[in-house]
Amino acid sequence: MASFAPRRRFDARGLVIPALIVAGWYVVSESGVGNGYVFVTYDRIWATFAAMVADGTLVASIVGTVLRMAAGFAIGAGFGLLLGLATGLSDLAGRVVSPTFHAVRQIAIFAWMPLLTAWLGIGGQTMIALIALGAFYPMVINVEAGCRNVPGPYLEVGRVLELSRWQTIRRIVLPAAAPAIFAGLELGLATAWLSTIGAEYFIAAGDGLGIILSASRMRGSMDGVIVGIVFIGLVGFAINRLLAVIARRAFAWRGEAAR
Amino acid sequence: MALAARVAEPEPALAVQRVSRVFRTADGAVPALSDVSVGVAPGAFVSLVGPSGCGKSTLLRLLAGLDVPDDGEVLFEGVPITGPSLSRGMLFQDHRLLPWLSVADNIGLGLHKQGLDAEGRRHRVQELIDLVGLNGFERAYPYQLSGGMSQRAAIARSLAPRPRALLLDEPLGALDSLTRAKMQTELLRIWEHEGITMLLVTHDVEEAVYLSDRVVVMLPRPGRIAATVDIDLPRPRHRGDPGFARIKAEILGWLGADGL
Ligand SMILES: Nc1ncnc2c1ncn2[C@@H]1O[C@H](COP(=O)(O)OP(=O)(O)O)[C@@H](O)[C@H]1O
Ligand SMILES: [Mg+2]
Repeated sequence: MASFAPRRRFDARGLVIPALIVAGWYVVSESGVGNGYVFVTYDRIWATFAAMVADGTLVASIVGTVLRMAAGFAIGAGFGLLLGLATGLSDLAGRVVSPTFHAVRQIAIFAWMPLLTAWLGIGGQTMIALIALGAFYPMVINVEAGCRNVPGPYLEVGRVLELSRWQTIRRIVLPAAAPAIFAGLELGLATAWLSTIGAEYFIAAGDGLGIILSASRMRGSMDGVIVGIVFIGLVGFAINRLLAVIARRAFAWRGEAAR
Repeated sequence: MALAARVAEPEPALAVQRVSRVFRTADGAVPALSDVSVGVAPGAFVSLVGPSGCGKSTLLRLLAGLDVPDDGEVLFEGVPITGPSLSRGMLFQDHRLLPWLSVADNIGLGLHKQGLDAEGRRHRVQELIDLVGLNGFERAYPYQLSGGMSQRAAIARSLAPRPRALLLDEPLGALDSLTRAKMQTELLRIWEHEGITMLLVTHDVEEAVYLSDRVVVMLPRPGRIAATVDIDLPRPRHRGDPGFARIKAEILGWLGADGL
């Protein structure tokens, strides 16, 4: 779980590559060396950004994307948690469900698009279903693994103290599995985020950052595409940081060393 | 003759009768215990000593109900042991505190069958914290404790459900000698205070002689009992006494380590 790594102190050397890209873009776009359609100038990007802020497109898109992602993630992660707990805690459930699950998992998420659009139409529901699928798989896998890999010595403590099955699950299995469950949430969030942008880009119904991308591309407006990309990066980064903060609070018992 | 004095004894609290346990591994069969019999009288303090691999932990796990023998019988108060029970506490070498629970919650983990309400549980936990001297650390997590404090918390957890017997698997093995000596005194105090039957595994002969009424000497390959030595030194004992040194030498002799 690399993103739970200790908060490193700011190191200016990390800015070298972004600075080079920004400067290089400036040189290429201003000098006219590159294709002016692709390498749009900062002036035009700024103007497009200002226009999107002014007419409310940008805010509406960020809100639309975040809400869509939240809905899809909640559905996918929720069902993923339930299925992962079932297969992780019950051998029977594992034996019945796992072969099908691992077969179906091989199907790339966007390969479901034709079927999903046939069932749910080309619109919001299909987008949310794609996002949910993105969150679902990693969640199931991590929750199941977390429940199955509880250290034997801790389970023996439960046996020696005559904990019931339910008490064992609540006091030992779930806490021991919590870091893995959290890793599942983190991974699920990452794939749900990819699915969100992909679904928005391909289905393009309503407001969303991915919809800015497809709409700008269709209009041949690379400046709009760049604004979209930058905000996709920023929102993705914000979501990731938020999760890291939650993890730090939730796992106080692991001590400084483990964080 | 200190060897297995067959005086009339009450029915043992813990009894291992002609027990064998063989582990089958990729490298073949490991006879961890071979025809082993041990009895521990109610309220007695008995130690098992022996080199590593002679089956001490295996024996304790059988008595804890965590494992079953291939042959023979394991009894608690005359009744065959079929599984773990709160009446037989177990203290593991690696304290095994649950890292996500505070010290108080770890200690309270085994209180669910004591018929206590929330207030009663809190009271019992506090009593145990006082007993093992962990005041001020009730809310600490295990990672914040030293080795000695962790073992004390683990002792408190195993005592919480008021077991009638306590099985201790090298509980002091990982401690420095100073903490260790203090914990030995602590164990004796708890034993005298609670009147529990104690079966302690240790590889430290001096510790065994200092604490026990009787020391059972085991040898490996196959795991078996080499000797049973009764220790009738008066308490409190002093490690420098001639009698202490004599018994220690006798046990070391059984272990084939008298040259040490
Ligand atoms: N679960 C197991 N599987 C295979 N071998 C085991 C197992 N438990 C113990 N043994 C073997 O049995 C022998 C006795 O082990 P143990 O009871 O742990 O010894 P001690 O506690 O005296 O050091 C050792 O050779 C050990 O490797
Ligand atoms: Mg051992």
